[in-house]
Amino acid sequence: MKQDYFSANNIKYIDYKDIEILKKFLNPNGKIVSHKRTGITSKNQRALAAAVKHARFMGLLPFVVK
Amino acid sequence: MSATENNNEIKDGNEIEKDANSRVYELAYLLVPTLSEEDVPVSYGNLKEMVSSFGGAVISNEMPKMIPLAYSMAKVISNLRNKFNTAYFGWIKFMMDSDKVLELKKKLDLDITVIRFLILKTVKENTIAAKRFVRPDMHRKPKFAKEGTDEPAVPINKEEIDKEIDAMVAV
Repeated sequence: MKQDYFSANNIKYIDYKDIEILKKFLNPNGKIVSHKRTGITSKNQRALAAAVKHARFMGLLPFVVK
Repeated sequence: MSATENNNEIKDGNEIEKDANSRVYELAYLLVPTLSEEDVPVSYGNLKEMVSSFGGAVISNEMPKMIPLAYSMAKVISNLRNKFNTAYFGWIKFMMDSDKVLELKKKLDLDITVIRFLILKTVKENTIAAKRFVRPDMHRKPKFAKEGTDEPAVPINKEEIDKEIDAMVAV
């Protein structure tokens, strides 16, 4: 993913409920993929991290995949 | 998820804009799975009523639906620690005074049917991406498909193939 996924798909607000999109940015252990690998802008990476953490709190995404 | 979004109750613009202090929030909650199917709309109605009682104008919401939790959660109900692996997940988007939200939070803390809840600042627009996106790396697929379609395009002559097989068997 070289280009910013979110601006490419015209997503202005990263929603924590949209777990199908968030899952693209998790590694097999459920960790958030680093900024270096995602290729998204710093602003979106921060929003993404917040969205993933909200989704984890609500039990939509796991904290760890064993 | 956007398909299930219902009861869009967008109030008139002038009613919402009356207070400059108000802004858009979203309340997401998990209801205990021990509720029966009939009780879920009741608790959902209660939550909506609670939001309106603090002067919140509901923008959009989603009915709670049963989801499997990614990990087990515990909630102490009448001194008993209950573990849950499933819950009813729902959310309400509303407009409310920023100082009223803390009161709403305090009231929700006491609700025994709510395992967890999350109050977030959000935007009025629908935030869920409507269409499923095709991954950018899919463009390689048609190449393989073309190669695959080329072979069956050659007319198959049954007799010829039979002859070929016979020849191979003979060897």
